[in-house]
Amino acid sequence: MTNGFSGPVAQIVDNYLARLRKGLKGFPPQDQEELVKEIHSHIYESFRNDPSGNEVDRILKVLDKLGEPGVVISTRMPSAMVTLGKKKKLPFYILAGVLIALFGVPLGLGGLSLALGIIITILALIMTFYIGAFSLILGGWLSALVMAVRIFSPGFLDPWVNVYPIVSDPALNTVLYIVGSLLIAGMGLGFLWLGTRMMRGIRFVFRFLFEKIKNSRKRVGAPA
Amino acid sequence: MYYIVFGYNMENKITQLRKGILELAILGCLSHGRHYGYSLVKTISGEKNIDLTEGTIYPILGRLAKEGLIQSEWMESSQGPPRKYYTLTLKGEEAHRLLEEEFRKLAAIVANVQKMPEPDTPDIALNVLSVKKEMNHD
Repeated sequence: MTNGFSGPVAQIVDNYLARLRKGLKGFPPQDQEELVKEIHSHIYESFRNDPSGNEVDRILKVLDKLGEPGVVISTRMPSAMVTLGKKKKLPFYILAGVLIALFGVPLGLGGLSLALGIIITILALIMTFYIGAFSLILGGWLSALVMAVRIFSPGFLDPWVNVYPIVSDPALNTVLYIVGSLLIAGMGLGFLWLGTRMMRGIRFVFRFLFEKIKNSRKRVGAPA
Repeated sequence: MYYIVFGYNMENKITQLRKGILELAILGCLSHGRHYGYSLVKTISGEKNIDLTEGTIYPILGRLAKEGLIQSEWMESSQGPPRKYYTLTLKGEEAHRLLEEEFRKLAAIVANVQKMPEPDTPDIALNVLSVKKEMNHD
């Protein structure tokens, strides 16, 4: 990368920007590029502003004044999480709250197995939820289709289908069945929609937890 | 242990205080005209070179932009890489006005407290001194 510097100074700047990029992983690519460009510009201006002395000493001083890449990024993390959280609906906040209450306590081995248990349960629930939704859609559509065909050929699938007469008029009965089936299919679609919301909520919770665990590790690792 | 927690809290408090004031300083700076990151730092820290980790302004700028208080534009520089210039939005001007007003009030409160007469009981004064000493260990 040509960064407007030369020799060892260029290497030092490259190294700093690479560390910055590393810290920005997980951010939207456009934001990453933009911030790296901006910090690069800052380094350049700061370097140019103090033209006295050895170049390497100067660049080190510039980077020292700028602070570690973590400083440039640090408070962006929580704010990214806050905006992520804003999109969610109340039930997911509650779910998040319950899970965080469980995980917020420093994780012991018991906590870890508890966490694993909860994660597996959640995954199983998600699977069940989606299978249920698809069954509703498939079942609903198929029943509606069969009933629609029976309007034109009344004996269709008679050996397998036993239509219980809700009303005495067979035509009205068929219409009722079709409407009912479509409603069931609609319910399935509704569940799918709900599922996407739920997934967002769960993703949010996991990201949040990941952050929490990472931060608590950092805090333990740092000299007090 | 108590002392570690206390030190951590102190650091947190100072960070919180700094962030709020820096935010106001940035808005104030931009209310006089457009700036890019480095020129903002220079203007804020002034001639006295106040101890400021320059990188801290970028997260604040990012947040202010997200809140719609400032907007930015890349512009070619006559020398070196392009610069990202920031300006206040209308919402930002309003926010600056309100925050500055609030800050004046708060500064007046702090000034009033400092002007308060010495406490009658010397014990209280001593306690305050010992807390200060403990903080210096950190």
